[in-house]
Amino acid sequence: MANWFDVALQAIINGLLTGALYALIGMGMALIFGVMRIVNFAHGAFLMMGMYATYVVFQATGISPYYQFPVAGLLLFVVGYATYMGLLRPIRGQVDFMVILLTMGLALILVDGAQLVFGADYHQINIPLLSRNIRLGSQISINAPWLVSFAIAAVLACVLYWVVTHTMFGRAARAIAQNPYAAPLTGINVNRIQAAAFGIGSAAAGIAGALLLPVFYLFPDVGNQFKLKSFVMVVLGGMGSIQGAAIAGLVLGVVESLTSLYWGNEWALAVDFVLFILVLSLKPSGIFGSQRA
Amino acid sequence: MKRSLILFLVGVSVLVLTSCKGSKGGGGNTFKIGVVTSLTGSNAAFGQAHKNGYTIALEEINAKGGLLGKQIELDYYDDQSRPDQAVQGVSKLVDQDRVPIVLGAYSSESTRAIVPVVTQKQVPLVIPTAVADNVMESGSPWVFRICAGSGSFAAATLDFLKNNGDPRTLAIVYENTNFGQANNKSMTEASKAAGLNLVDSEAYQASSPDYKSLLQRVKGKTPEVIYFASYLLDASTLMRQAEQLSLNPKYYTSAGTGFAAAEFPTPDKGAGKYAEYTFSVSQWLPSAKWKGSAEFDQKFFKLTGSHPAYHAMEAYAVLLVAAAAIDNSKADQPTTIRDAIKQVSLPETPFGPVKFDARGQNQHPVLITQVQSGQYKVVWPPDAAESKPIIPTPEWSKRQ
Amino acid sequence: MKNPQIIIAAIFLVAALFVPLFVPTDYTLQVLFRVFLFAALGLAWNLVGGYAGQLSLGHAAYFGVGAYGLALFSRLGISPWASVLLGVVMAVISAAMIGKVSFRLRGPYFALCTIAFAEVLRLVAKNLPNVTGGDVGVQVPALFMQSATRSFYWAGVLLTAFAFGLTAWIERSRFGYYLMAIREDQDTALSVGVNASRCKLWALLISAAITGLGGALYASMFLFIVPDQVLAMEISTEIAIVAMLGGAGTLLGPLLGSVVLETAAETFKNIFKEAHLLIYGVLIVLVVLFMPEGIVGTLTSKLGLFKKAPPVPFAAPLPVTAEEEAQRAAVSE
Repeated sequence: MANWFDVALQAIINGLLTGALYALIGMGMALIFGVMRIVNFAHGAFLMMGMYATYVVFQATGISPYYQFPVAGLLLFVVGYATYMGLLRPIRGQVDFMVILLTMGLALILVDGAQLVFGADYHQINIPLLSRNIRLGSQISINAPWLVSFAIAAVLACVLYWVVTHTMFGRAARAIAQNPYAAPLTGINVNRIQAAAFGIGSAAAGIAGALLLPVFYLFPDVGNQFKLKSFVMVVLGGMGSIQGAAIAGLVLGVVESLTSLYWGNEWALAVDFVLFILVLSLKPSGIFGSQRA
Repeated sequence: MKRSLILFLVGVSVLVLTSCKGSKGGGGNTFKIGVVTSLTGSNAAFGQAHKNGYTIALEEINAKGGLLGKQIELDYYDDQSRPDQAVQGVSKLVDQDRVPIVLGAYSSESTRAIVPVVTQKQVPLVIPTAVADNVMESGSPWVFRICAGSGSFAAATLDFLKNNGDPRTLAIVYENTNFGQANNKSMTEASKAAGLNLVDSEAYQASSPDYKSLLQRVKGKTPEVIYFASYLLDASTLMRQAEQLSLNPKYYTSAGTGFAAAEFPTPDKGAGKYAEYTFSVSQWLPSAKWKGSAEFDQKFFKLTGSHPAYHAMEAYAVLLVAAAAIDNSKADQPTTIRDAIKQVSLPETPFGPVKFDARGQNQHPVLITQVQSGQYKVVWPPDAAESKPIIPTPEWSKRQ
Repeated sequence: MKNPQIIIAAIFLVAALFVPLFVPTDYTLQVLFRVFLFAALGLAWNLVGGYAGQLSLGHAAYFGVGAYGLALFSRLGISPWASVLLGVVMAVISAAMIGKVSFRLRGPYFALCTIAFAEVLRLVAKNLPNVTGGDVGVQVPALFMQSATRSFYWAGVLLTAFAFGLTAWIERSRFGYYLMAIREDQDTALSVGVNASRCKLWALLISAAITGLGGALYASMFLFIVPDQVLAMEISTEIAIVAMLGGAGTLLGPLLGSVVLETAAETFKNIFKEAHLLIYGVLIVLVVLFMPEGIVGTLTSKLGLFKKAPPVPFAAPLPVTAEEEAQRAAVSE
């Protein structure tokens, strides 16, 4: 029988594995929020689109999601870019909540559209990796696919961080985030950069969907819970900080896992929100201070 | 300003009145039957299953000449998986479209919500899938339910356990929705009455990716029996993760649904080998011996490409039974239809024998099945059993 | 000159009272009840979201507390109408607690915070079935015995009239001007002595009271509630959408918004069947793209309809320096 330490350690490890996926989703949302101050209510729908795209490709070609996830990423980059250019740019001058409203309408269209196209029924895929478990010691077991998705998410997170800190695009994005009115004066094409940022953020959600497909299942409203969690991560991470959101994702995963262990699974989501409220009231600039994207 | 005022009022009135237009029912050359189900929203997948089941029954009945000389037409209302919309739906179907009978809804909460409405409007309601006990508690003479309730599930499971090893400790793992909570309530009460020790009761948020911590908690209490109330995908996730955690109770039992779905023992769409040895209550399987079952399975597969779960069968059965009642008695008014349904006594339908008791509940037999070699085998009660139950459940590490 | 919006609304509401005499079917009255209920809820939301400019996406919290107040207090033996009153009181108390925490935040942070509170309430209601009935549901007493649907309809119209009247009065009062000042530029308002937190809180308390009352009415109409029905985020967004698309910060906006959107939703359902949500989403996107000030706002500015004294422009506030912006973006004071 496992002792309390092993049990807790297992829960923490599970939490980190799940948290990596959360982190990817949250980083995408943080990028969008940081550069454009847009709370994208269609973020979950984008994750869902990435998942369906991966499913379709898998059914047609049999290629594992862990190899074909760039497809989902590319698709969602295009979708995100087009969404920004076509729908969000025209209303940029409007009050915050009209923008939120538009993303809500978009989410409705995408989710109901998915239901019309794919049906409301659940879909699932089965890959051989799913039954492989890696054992550490006698009491800890890690399900292989989660480890793979953790690795991929970690690599992508680093790539994203590098892009934001070391490329011209990243510098331009941060400039816009700091001062949207001065940025164009330095020759930055604000619209294109913002659209690209929106595209990259959406691509992150799409890729997360691809990585989620083997270990979870697919239905039109699958993105809803992840959308809410990404709001939490953006706040915990602070002011659109990508690295903050990534760490917040890991924290969220661990907190949920430990809550499930010590209190009950049904409270995990509530604890997410309580944590959210606590951080907002005690340190609104996020756990990780006032770092910028 | 006057002009804009008039324009506004006219525009608004037009909008308001056109929104409430439904199709004119009653006369005409079709026999309309009202259906409330969840075509969108969180229960959409099951609402679609309902719709497919209804469609197959509709085609069968119309091919045989319809009802009372007319072809039947199903008048659907989408309750969007919300009880308030279900209530609105019944109002529309009855007041506007003048249907003499309503079938539905899908979920227990929507169904529970429409019970007082059909009672007040005096229109018979035949319920296909809502299992919560509170759905039938009012005892309304207008309400009939074809499926067994969660109380029957608990009773059947406990009966089986008592006669097959008589374990003493039980844990319930249930999803945090009406379905799960209703089954938890029934099993908690029933197990207490039976003298079992309920060592753990775990609710979970459905559609979570990770249940390992939850299962760890259950493992810590070492129950002999675990009783699940889960839908298919959570059922698959739970069993997979139970193996990863080496959770080894003597019995995995369940309130059906996920653990009784046709896909559950399959590797591609279910839990595959992890489903082996699990017990479940069963209301119906494609392999059931009732006349018409296999044909329904084939038709459903042809229509949708997958095998029907019992939700679709219950919808199919409900329409067949209602049509049979109407046909036999030539009833076409709500009151006469209600009486016809009360009288129904069909020993052989694809869903087994159908006869509603004084409270409108069909005494549907609840069987216990076990997954053996990837197939569901009925193991209880003995007169229906096709195989002996394999007890205790082999430990994960000892399975090949 | 008298505000044409008030006149139109008054005529409309009085005419609405006579509708049940011509349209007796339950279905139509239920749809219309929904229209008026959401008009009232939209008007209530408008106080906080439109006039004070704080986007609340968690109003379902007050709706649900009102509904559950009625259900749970009456289970203790208290009479239905007294339970309604207690439910409203509980909604106001919740608003006080939620507001105290949330109003320190601004813009999207405030919105997300309200979402979080409403979700926590929903999950608590769901996870404590022994207290609230959980997802299995809880019975709600009928407030009206005779000809129930008609009575609920009238109650809906009266609630809307009350909310409308209250909003009209606030709009012309000093309190209303304080709210609008806060909406336009909270820091400037503070600098001229407006007690921003108190004003926002009062707006929320009034808003919550009306919303809670609406929740109790709604619950009683269906005689049975579950958390996902009255505490769901869908309710919060529906209320906000009705007010925003109709025209936040205008008097007629939520009323018109509810009439248009609720009837559109029902019509779409009847016509488009499973695709109705998609069409509804398209409607929302189109309105945001082409009528960014909401229906009433756009009609007022583009077509000169409903014109009264120059409407307060509803634009985003001007920025300050980057550091201040960063600091103020998260915290209010």
